Amino acid sequence: MQRDLAIEVHDAVKTFGRIRALDGLDLAVRTGEVHGFLGPNGAGKSTTLRALLGLLRIDAGTLRLLGGDPWRDATRLHRQLAYVPGDVSLWPNLSGGEVIDLLIRLRGGDPAASRRDELLARFELDPTKKGRAYSKGNRQKVALVAALASDVPLLLLDEPTSGLDPLMEQVFAQLVREWASGGRTVLLSSHILSEVEALCDRVTIIRAGRAVETGSLADMRHLRRTRVRAELLGPMDGIASVPGLHDVAVDDGVLTCTADPEAINDLLGKLAGIGVHGLTCSPPSLEELFLDVYRTPATQ
Amino acid sequence: MNQSLVGAPRLLRLALRRDRVLLPVWVAALVLGSVSSVQATVDLYPDAASRAEAAAGINDNPAVVAIYGPLADVNSLGSLATFKLLLLGGVFVAMLCSVLVRRHTRLEEESGRAELIASTVVGRHALLAAAVTEAVLAAVLTGLLTALGNTAAGLDAPGSLAFGLAWTGLGLVGAGVTALCCQLTASTRTAGGLVALVLGAGYVLRAVGDLSAGWISWLSPFGWATQLRAYGDERWWVLALPVLLAAATLAGAVALADRRDVGAGLVPDRPGPARGRLGSVTGLTLRLHRGSALAWGLGILVLGAVMGGIAPGVADIAGSAEVQDMLRRTGGGGALVDAFLATEISFLAVAVTAFAVAAVGRASAEETEGRTESVLATATSRSALLGAVGLVALAGPVVLMLGFGLGASLTYGAQQDGVGVALGVLLPAALAPLPAVWLVSGVALLLFGVRARWATLGWAVLAGCLLLGQVGELLGLPAWVVGLSPYGHLPRLPAESFAIRPELALTAIAVALLALAAWRYRERDVG
Repeated sequence: MQRDLAIEVHDAVKTFGRIRALDGLDLAVRTGEVHGFLGPNGAGKSTTLRALLGLLRIDAGTLRLLGGDPWRDATRLHRQLAYVPGDVSLWPNLSGGEVIDLLIRLRGGDPAASRRDELLARFELDPTKKGRAYSKGNRQKVALVAALASDVPLLLLDEPTSGLDPLMEQVFAQLVREWASGGRTVLLSSHILSEVEALCDRVTIIRAGRAVETGSLADMRHLRRTRVRAELLGPMDGIASVPGLHDVAVDDGVLTCTADPEAINDLLGKLAGIGVHGLTCSPPSLEELFLDVYRTPATQ
Repeated sequence: MNQSLVGAPRLLRLALRRDRVLLPVWVAALVLGSVSSVQATVDLYPDAASRAEAAAGINDNPAVVAIYGPLADVNSLGSLATFKLLLLGGVFVAMLCSVLVRRHTRLEEESGRAELIASTVVGRHALLAAAVTEAVLAAVLTGLLTALGNTAAGLDAPGSLAFGLAWTGLGLVGAGVTALCCQLTASTRTAGGLVALVLGAGYVLRAVGDLSAGWISWLSPFGWATQLRAYGDERWWVLALPVLLAAATLAGAVALADRRDVGAGLVPDRPGPARGRLGSVTGLTLRLHRGSALAWGLGILVLGAVMGGIAPGVADIAGSAEVQDMLRRTGGGGALVDAFLATEISFLAVAVTAFAVAAVGRASAEETEGRTESVLATATSRSALLGAVGLVALAGPVVLMLGFGLGASLTYGAQQDGVGVALGVLLPAALAPLPAVWLVSGVALLLFGVRARWATLGWAVLAGCLLLGQVGELLGLPAWVVGLSPYGHLPRLPAESFAIRPELALTAIAVALLALAAWRYRERDVG
């Protein structure tokens, strides 16, 4: 086991009846990073998180969380983490404030000494409402306040912003950045790609219970095509013959194409010969990476 | 069609489709329960002499009258065959209708599904109308099928019809009262509690009336069911009473529904505290049960006081001179009073088990609705969580039984040898059936320990025990089957003397069940 890994999942399998929710999943989250956990609905993100919490027992493979076994050492490990479920369910007759204080104490913290009041103000949450009166977004805020107010080294978030409005998403993003700047670890499961792009150092994309792509965004981009748009001064002689170019098109003197990483240098040489008066090269967005991964058939 | 009812037929079909298992199972269980015990009675008492012998003494026994109501006619086979079923079965019919109405009105609102439906082309009262219609259909169907079945089993047709319609009437009342209660509060659970309170009060009023001033029975829907006098000299006009009450409560429900928002109760939610004091899973669990425990506790204290209050007088209803004479010779009215109290306590033990089974069911709902996940993701161990549930399910019945003993002692002792003496007799008597309560609670906890959704089966176990105790012997079931119900194994204080061995044996089984439950719960997936 590597010491610098907060979470280490190796070849995890979990079946529910005939459904294989996890099918040989690998996941490594380094201590101190914000790790994005991407995948569409039903890919196995929540199952992974619940296995990491010791709520589910995996059928095969290994799980390590903060150096312990999530199933056997659940109670000890849970003192060091906070979790926000994807679908927050509150007790209908307890107020939001009561739930927040309860969860902080259950994690071993002291609400009075915590940041709860500051967080309530930043999320603009009224803690006196009863659980049944909160909207989806506000229920999520209750769980987020309780989690972020706990002084723990690991945060597990399961699609935490799916009910938040854009303003609150920004508040959330800012809070996660502050949290991570203290050297603490975050595993952020999401399918909101812009959020992951803005917050995460490294990303794991899963599909049908397996990790299909993992690494830093920069690394992942290196492996992907860059989108190039050039306004040409002359005719496009020989550009189409550069190996590694795709989707080449010229319209009214404007060239658009996508280039494999090794083709960029050749392309720039050709363009310099022709002459350009405008050039943009954009790296693939996470969305393109994601769609790319999902467009190709699973290799199994 | 009235604008406010647009879409109701379609919603009724939706409700019937959703209840395609629940409804037939309940109706079939009720009808078959009635028919099989009628059949058994018919076989058991072939001639008038044997019937007269069996019926004699029933109306003279206050314990029996308090629980089942009086025989409409001591010479009628039908009366003898059905007197145990009329009210106890009627409770289940009312519960069925109550469950149906809650399930399709308030629960739909609480879960947010009603909002989805309200956004389509349906009228304001369509959900309520569909739910009440389904409940009425269920009540009528159960009544008519039971009437047919009882007739087929050899009872007279008019009596069977009256018996079936008495059940239908209780079902209608259950549906109407539930419709009303569902308007008052935004919580399905609270609404269910209110209904249980109303029905429980009705049952007790009827018992008090039958044992003292007869007019009190007429205040209760359960009193109407006995006053209909099925298989006696039927008074058909009494059937109008439950219909009128159901119509009145339904009209009240509609009026209240017009005055509130979808999803809200009539009583608005008050804001809660901004800070909480809860800090452990035990505290949380006790807090979640606070409301229902208070309601149960108060209800049972009052029940104890009422039963203790009427107990000294029950010997007087043993009217005939011969019975009085026999009583004098066999130890006096005191024995009759003791038997009365012992019977009340043994029935209460079954009722109090319902509190425990409900507590386990609540833990199951906590898990399936996703809140257990949040608790177990903290430093709370599974043992602590199950321990908190077990505390409520096992210690709750102790407190409730003590509450009955206390209430009964206060009113009984004041009329007899003093409260102190009564406490010395009635508190141990109230505690004696607890091992059976723990055993059934242990079964419910084990079911929960194996799989959260199985906790509901605890109700089937409890109903099975009740049924075995009531009609097991009548149906001629083998002794070991009847003996599966733990309640019959314990000494019935104060009528019988205390015996330590069955108490210890059942407690030991309960402990073993708890250990199994804890083991299974630690090993299984949660959520």
